[in-house]
Amino acid sequence: MRPENYQAKSHPPSNEYELNFGPNHPGIEGNYALRVKLHGDRVIAARADAGYLHRGFEKLMEGRLWIQNIALVPRICVPDPTPMEVCYSLSVEALCGLDVPPRAQWIRVMQLEMSRLAAHLFAFGGHAATTGLYTNMFWGVADRDLILDRFEELTGGRVYSIYNIPGGVRRDVPEGFLGRLAALLDYLESRLDDYDNLFFRNQVFVRRARDVGTLSQQQALEWGVTGPNLRATGLAFDVRRDDPYLVYDQLEFDVVTEQAGDALARNLVRRGELKQSIRILRQVIAALPGIDGPIRAPIPNPLAWNVPPGETYTRVESSKGELAYYVVSTGGDKPYRVHVRGPSAMHAVQVLEKLAVGARLEDVAQIMFSLDACPPEVDR
Amino acid sequence: MTQAMNPWLDDLLRDMESIQLQRQGDRRIRIDVASEALPALLELLQGRAGYVHLSAISCVDWIDAGEFELVYHVWSYELSTLVSAHTRVPRDPGVYLSVYDLYRPAAFFERDIHEMFGLYFEGSPDMEPFILTEWNGPPPMRKDFDSEAFVNQTFQWEEYRPDWLIEIEEQGGGVSKRPEDIR
Repeated sequence: MRPENYQAKSHPPSNEYELNFGPNHPGIEGNYALRVKLHGDRVIAARADAGYLHRGFEKLMEGRLWIQNIALVPRICVPDPTPMEVCYSLSVEALCGLDVPPRAQWIRVMQLEMSRLAAHLFAFGGHAATTGLYTNMFWGVADRDLILDRFEELTGGRVYSIYNIPGGVRRDVPEGFLGRLAALLDYLESRLDDYDNLFFRNQVFVRRARDVGTLSQQQALEWGVTGPNLRATGLAFDVRRDDPYLVYDQLEFDVVTEQAGDALARNLVRRGELKQSIRILRQVIAALPGIDGPIRAPIPNPLAWNVPPGETYTRVESSKGELAYYVVSTGGDKPYRVHVRGPSAMHAVQVLEKLAVGARLEDVAQIMFSLDACPPEVDR
Repeated sequence: MTQAMNPWLDDLLRDMESIQLQRQGDRRIRIDVASEALPALLELLQGRAGYVHLSAISCVDWIDAGEFELVYHVWSYELSTLVSAHTRVPRDPGVYLSVYDLYRPAAFFERDIHEMFGLYFEGSPDMEPFILTEWNGPPPMRKDFDSEAFVNQTFQWEEYRPDWLIEIEEQGGGVSKRPEDIR
């Protein structure tokens, strides 16, 4: 071939390639995938790929009785199912104008904070694994299991408790439960120093997570970031304090914030919230014996329960951020429409796609885990 | 109803026509607005009253009225109130405007509504399928989509009668009823 006839074909540069990160990958949370485009080991584009766990809950709920949906909702977010039950129950109560007895409200707060502890232990255990710190992952999962033991005792279910129903809770607290919970809290508090030494002050983690996946406060507000991820950018906002529900306005707790907005800061916020949840639970343990009364409001026959027409938007603070249910009733025995607004829908899609760009490939898993995204909640 | 409103909201919305305000609880305000005026309302709420957080966009299919109801839930971190702006758009042709230029999270919700209800948002950056990438049926969250009928049309019932089940049935056990026999 003569040199003057040679025409270079256009083709992508050989150092750029696409990689399917998930759905079967230890660095991805649950059944989820990211399609990343790489230049060397630097991410230049990322695209979230969901739907591996789509079960169509919103459609299913339109075909089931109000009370039956209680068995469906916790499955929307596996690691933190209690806020789903509570938020759905609060929605139905708002539509019916039901007043939940104080005792049930305190029991719900207790259960919500137990769930938050379990979810945070799971979350930073998962994050630790992405930086190669497997011991911490085992510790996190093992300590979470102790909380699940208490869930089992309280509700009969370890993960999906199906314990809250519109009007209150199904059963009262078992004999001696509060003492065992207090002992568990003492144990968990004693573990916090171990976690600090092994993980939160561990230079392997600190140097890996610092300045990774950094969000400024302005970006966080613009992209709809909520929960611990928002508080890690310095904004002290918590639905429990600023849009209170149940008895959170009677409880003392601090809204934990950090300033840096990176993966490290997000984990430190969760670390702080472990302590605050323990603090809240101790207040519940102290107050609950003094609150007598029923554990649920009288409700009509749940199998023939027509909820009055109306619509409501109910929010709670889950361990991952702002969780909300938009529920519409036309007066029938089934919901007309239920829309679930999960915090991970924002964090795992737009925010993750944005934060992954510019990161090194080995940090992508860290970014996803530091956002504590919950893929089943994205898919619904 | 407007006498009970905060003065800022009164001032803000005095000039806007076709708006109905309703206070629902301490921190909830419902606004009903015509679909033409909704983007202007959101712009006012965001720019002049600090409603910077789009919590969600919910879609409801009112099939008897031939309309989709869109509900924009916006939260103000300063005023600690949630405004739900309700508007209705015709089901046919099912096109509405995106608010992505005001609220970035709208891209996700609009993509989701397009996928589940078939309502197209002009100006939204991404209308590609997200969850239902291998789906070729109608938008499933529409009220005229019958999941059970779709399953019966699309899939076939398999006879599954292994030997061990026949044995159990001969002894009077087992559950061999099909769903349609039960109903």
